[in-house]
Amino acid sequence: MRRAAFILSACLIGPVLGFAQVAQSQVASTTPELYGLVDAQTVAAHNQSRCIAQMAEFPTDDPTARYQFFKLVSDVAYGADDETRALFDHYGQPAVEAGTPVLSVIEDIANPVLRQAAPEIIVSSMNYLVDFSEACDVYIEGQIESLSAFDGTLTDPELNSAIAEDALFLRQILSESLSRLGADTDAAWATAAKTYSRSLVAQRDAVEFAAFETDISELETLFMEDLDGRLARSNDVINSEIDREILGDSVKLAKDLNEAAKEKARQDRLYRLLRLFGGGR
Amino acid sequence: MMKQILLASSLLCLGAIATGCASTAQGIKTSAITKSVPNESLSAEIPEGGVLAVIRYPAIVDFDAKDTFHRAYAKRAIGGVPGKGVTNTIETVAVADSSIIKSNYFALSLYKELAAKLPEHGVLLSPHAVKLGPGGELTSEPMTAAEDLPAVVSVDFATYSYPDSRKMMGNYPLTFGDLVTPLVTVRTDHRASVPNQGLLLASRPLVSRAAAEGKEAALKTIDALQRGDLSPATPELDFISYITNDTPQAVATQSLTVRSDKNATIILPVEKVRIPKSEMALLEGASDGTVDPIDEIYTDALSRRIVALINGLDTDKAIMMGRAASIADFDPSLAALTFVGSDEDDYAARAAYAERLLDAQRKYLSVQSLRIFDGIHNGELGAQVRDMISAEQNILETRRTLARQQNLATALAIASVAGGVAAGSGRSQSEAERRSRSATASILTQAGIFAATEAYSKAQLSKQVGINYLNSIVPALDQQTTVTLDLLDSNETITAIRYEDLQSKLQDLYASRQRSLDTVATQCAYLEAGGAKRGTWLGVCENGLANGSGAGVLELGDEVMEYYGFAKNGYAEGPGLMIRHSSIGSLSYEGEFSQGRPNGVVRVSQPGKADATRNFVAGIDQGASSQPARSPFDGISAGTGN
Repeated sequence: MRRAAFILSACLIGPVLGFAQVAQSQVASTTPELYGLVDAQTVAAHNQSRCIAQMAEFPTDDPTARYQFFKLVSDVAYGADDETRALFDHYGQPAVEAGTPVLSVIEDIANPVLRQAAPEIIVSSMNYLVDFSEACDVYIEGQIESLSAFDGTLTDPELNSAIAEDALFLRQILSESLSRLGADTDAAWATAAKTYSRSLVAQRDAVEFAAFETDISELETLFMEDLDGRLARSNDVINSEIDREILGDSVKLAKDLNEAAKEKARQDRLYRLLRLFGGGR
Repeated sequence: MMKQILLASSLLCLGAIATGCASTAQGIKTSAITKSVPNESLSAEIPEGGVLAVIRYPAIVDFDAKDTFHRAYAKRAIGGVPGKGVTNTIETVAVADSSIIKSNYFALSLYKELAAKLPEHGVLLSPHAVKLGPGGELTSEPMTAAEDLPAVVSVDFATYSYPDSRKMMGNYPLTFGDLVTPLVTVRTDHRASVPNQGLLLASRPLVSRAAAEGKEAALKTIDALQRGDLSPATPELDFISYITNDTPQAVATQSLTVRSDKNATIILPVEKVRIPKSEMALLEGASDGTVDPIDEIYTDALSRRIVALINGLDTDKAIMMGRAASIADFDPSLAALTFVGSDEDDYAARAAYAERLLDAQRKYLSVQSLRIFDGIHNGELGAQVRDMISAEQNILETRRTLARQQNLATALAIASVAGGVAAGSGRSQSEAERRSRSATASILTQAGIFAATEAYSKAQLSKQVGINYLNSIVPALDQQTTVTLDLLDSNETITAIRYEDLQSKLQDLYASRQRSLDTVATQCAYLEAGGAKRGTWLGVCENGLANGSGAGVLELGDEVMEYYGFAKNGYAEGPGLMIRHSSIGSLSYEGEFSQGRPNGVVRVSQPGKADATRNFVAGIDQGASSQPARSPFDGISAGTGN
């Protein structure tokens, strides 16, 4: 419930304005890729008018809220392959009317009364969201990319982990609704329902690992910078305490000894010469 | 006339033998290691939970161990008459201490070169302290925690000088001035290269001891496994092992090549490599670490060869025991499962956490290595070592000049004596001529004797110059040793305090985040084929017997056997790697097993031979197979072995 409240508060910020700008380039950095879960890529569709209609009432004046919304919708579609889409189509009846704004669909999913009383509406609403995410992925990803470029703080791992957890929450609602409708005991649909449940576990693992990764990265940065600074200072202190004279003195002593040895050798040679020419006297 | 020529020739030969021709210690311009250098970029990634390389080198000698070290260094001289040592003198002590300081300095050149060719945080430095063991024997131990993390290869690097300073100008190994004699071994975990005990490459004198160290480490880890302990053994430095003259171990060898094609150790010759004059000129007064006198002549080529050796290894196999040991420190129930992995979600999730934790430790320790490099190579200490090499070079050049003068004097002596003999023995036509001949012969003979004395004098002076330098440099060596110790101790102390804190925080994070495991690793019985012998299994157990993935060890009379892979009802079953160690060597079987025996397609690795893929039925070799053998490390489908 608290998660649903977060989702709705994120989505309902700002006045309703038409969706005017769509990015032209496809964006590669999706949440599944971020977590290494790339086996269920959505397929882009270029249905501009439909996407714009469905995006009506999206928050527009707050980049963070807008980013949260697009990211959430993108993440919700994770794990929806052809088999699970057929499962949603089967249990999600009646289907949500075409052209219904996405925001109102999310409100329905977050409604606890509907979740209890009409799980099939939850399934159809989620199916609608997944369908929208797949059909409009080019626009959604374009928006995510544009907003990230506009405000670098939106790539903050903590924010993205929170959004991923909200998407997971919505998917769990869908899975529970399917279960309440008997999908996991229906011989015809049990396999698809279990596959979807497993994808939820995988996403849960990925979301939690991302949070772990965030925490561990912070620890790493903190400790590595601290260690690096301490070691550098310690090295400098020790190096500065080296007595620079010792090596020079040692080398000079060796030089002096060698000069003395050379002098002695010269004298010895002279002595030998004298003995040689003096007949050994 | 013929008689006179023969007499003169005899005297010439005698003179040459008596005075000798002094060597000017030129060294070689091109090391064998720089010929046909492989130019491969790294094909492997840094394995999860480990590093690609750790460079081990002697950095300091403990005060208590100094005398034992100096005696051992003098006794086990490389390049002298086998079995004949050198008397321990002040100069020998200076040579030995100087070798440690140079090893400490030149090892950093290898670190720099290897770090440039491997991914970030892929290589660590492990300075060793030479010390006395519990029984008073000489050994070495790592000064930092770098070897706590598993490495695909460990490289022992040292530079060497023959301990008798009087022979410095001969053809003996020398690291002095512009001459460097490196000693190197490159090893991996024995499980990744069974027949050669993991010893991939070694300088010739170190081979047999390094191979023995590899086998001893293997047997120690097997012994530990039998007690349920996954801790790998950390061998002492191969150079220290060499000078302590412990029991050697035979190993198949082959001459220098990129990678051995017959499970042999590649041999490096001991070479006295000469640093080019241009590099030596840069050393004088070089205050920062940008000057590296040996990168072009040695360490660049060596690091390329190390990269090529890493490319030839299964990196996961090379670190599997070390990684399991590291994981066992904070998650014993997961550790033994990591040998071959699992396709279960719970395992995959938990292993990812564990590997990320080890990854954080690796990055942290690599900061320490970078700072050790920076503190020594780029600091005042490095500048002092470079100044010392320059000073040595002046001594060496003086001695080279004296050697040339000695050679000239020797030649003059021989020529004069021969001329005198020829003049004195000629037939004279008259008294005047006879007197003239006699005077000439006398002068030439006296000149010859003087020149011979001069040659002797130059030889003595040359030796005295060397001795004077080594005696004078002792305080500077002491200071450099002290500063090295201070730097390393300080680095390790600071790192250890913070590392402990980091480990504690990481483990808290791990404990609070990771999910539970459905299947955990425990300890139970592992059976020999036939069930006569019972060993220890660490991994998945059922009813007190090995059942699933893990590792098993057994003692079979004179043989010791280890096995990594899958088991059923106590026996090796499914894909696995079986290693057998006996007194004649070690060999491995990797492929399908049934009831504890090779059964199916199996790759056999033996010393001195190329790997062979054979077909086995119930442990009996049926001949060559054209099918590839399955490996327990290839992937998770291996779980079907159950």
